Amino acid sequence: MSKLLIDVGSTYFKTSSSEGVAQAFRDFSMTIFDDLSHKFANKIAAYKKEDIYICSSANGGLSTLIIGLTNSFSLKYAKNIAFNSGINIIDTVLVHELQTSVAPTQLLDVVIVVGGIDSVGGIYDTKLISYLAKLRYSNIVYVGNTQDVPFLRSHVEALVVLENIIDNKLKVREEALKEYLTNLYQQDIVGKEDIKQLYAITANQIFSTPYIVNRSLPFIGTKFAVVDPFIVVDIGGATTDIHYSRDLVRDNIVSENGFDRLVFKKLGVYKSRESLVFAAKSNEFVYEMLNYLNVTENILEEQSEKATKILMLLSIFLVLYKVSSYKPAYVTLNLERLNALVFTGGITKVLSQDEVLSIVHFFYKKVLNTNTIPTIVLDHNYDIWTLGMHQ
Amino acid sequence: MTDRIKKVVTGVVGNDIHVVANRLIDISLQARGYEVFNLGVNTYLEEFIDAVIETDADILLISSLNGEAEGWCRDLQFLRSEYQLKDVVFVIGGNLAVGEAKCEDIVPKYKAYGFDLVFHQIDLNTGLDTLEAFMQDRITK
Repeated sequence: MSKLLIDVGSTYFKTSSSEGVAQAFRDFSMTIFDDLSHKFANKIAAYKKEDIYICSSANGGLSTLIIGLTNSFSLKYAKNIAFNSGINIIDTVLVHELQTSVAPTQLLDVVIVVGGIDSVGGIYDTKLISYLAKLRYSNIVYVGNTQDVPFLRSHVEALVVLENIIDNKLKVREEALKEYLTNLYQQDIVGKEDIKQLYAITANQIFSTPYIVNRSLPFIGTKFAVVDPFIVVDIGGATTDIHYSRDLVRDNIVSENGFDRLVFKKLGVYKSRESLVFAAKSNEFVYEMLNYLNVTENILEEQSEKATKILMLLSIFLVLYKVSSYKPAYVTLNLERLNALVFTGGITKVLSQDEVLSIVHFFYKKVLNTNTIPTIVLDHNYDIWTLGMHQ
Repeated sequence: MTDRIKKVVTGVVGNDIHVVANRLIDISLQARGYEVFNLGVNTYLEEFIDAVIETDADILLISSLNGEAEGWCRDLQFLRSEYQLKDVVFVIGGNLAVGEAKCEDIVPKYKAYGFDLVFHQIDLNTGLDTLEAFMQDRITK
């Protein structure tokens, strides 16, 4: 018998079975389990627990603060590993700025401390301890030089010490931290009461959706006419994820994984609508873009189908803008080299190929100053997700 | 400065892809007993400084062959003071100007940027001999 695949998103449920793909808007007045059981009762009843596979991105990810020695190595490596493990980074602090930095007030799921190759010591001292005393966190992990371990162990309660993520040649060593963060994310998902209840309908492990999507990328060519280098843009209700080929990045990270992930926490068309509108209004191209789309800025305040469409188009523009060389940030992708731009997530059900093509054209013309754009692929049937689930 | 093996961070600054020269420097430094951290070609100044901090290096040896270093290394003094790297020896070598330029014009300019040793169009071994003598001099002082 075939499998039933279920994705629990922040806004939608999606299912995939031999009958095809179906989706339903979530009802936030009831638990995920009740809502899912109600909307897909017949489908769930038709499958055995062993044949039902669930992934979820509904928990919003873990929040992380990274403390590191330099931007180019310790912070960069830790950020990269964290993003690839499905973590949302809320802030980073450099060691030499510990005394002057304002500590985040929110509860952090995990604090990552990193710095130095193993032959270097004495990076961390009482300044770190004083800073940590100002934070509220659930987990703390140290992945820096070995020489500072005894000091940190004796001063930081419940410290988890893993292999240094910087090897003795200054290259990244990602496995230990990646495994730790992925497990933490996994525990967070299954630890949520809402998600725990889902084990009543599945006998399989519940995975995080970004992990599933990332797993499918090496096989994407089996479903779409996609040529490397490509990026996958997953615009959802609460966040936007970008999965990109490492060939598009000019940096000093040499990793075995051919694809990295980047998440924009505040770019979503439902749950993060307000922050998306704010980001759009702050963008220097917004009025030209609205004019190009034949609407006025009032559309951003409206609650209509057309307004949602415009917001989706804006989010495509903003995501490309944020990773372009025009706006240097954590990751700058060489978008001029891009061969294919694959869109997945809720937007593929709302926007047409022409609408997406038009906004990508606008972006390339306006920001990158070229009329040549990559091939646009819309993953209408959530094939990327089903591919990852089947792997 | 102790007798431990000296650590050197090296690489080619800016939009410069002269990888052969970079490899030769790497091999020569290793042959002379240095522990080498080679950042390769196309490296930004901030990356050099960050590598020095992460490795606690003794020497930063920047090379440049297309003459772009003049533009890329202007912030060295600023970065050097921000991270208090006063014990690190800063060296630059290669072809340090675009077009024709005299050593007597180029060397003071780069020293003003914050480099301790400047080798403009000087062969590699002569440069490394001078570096070794400079390091030895520091120890005896």
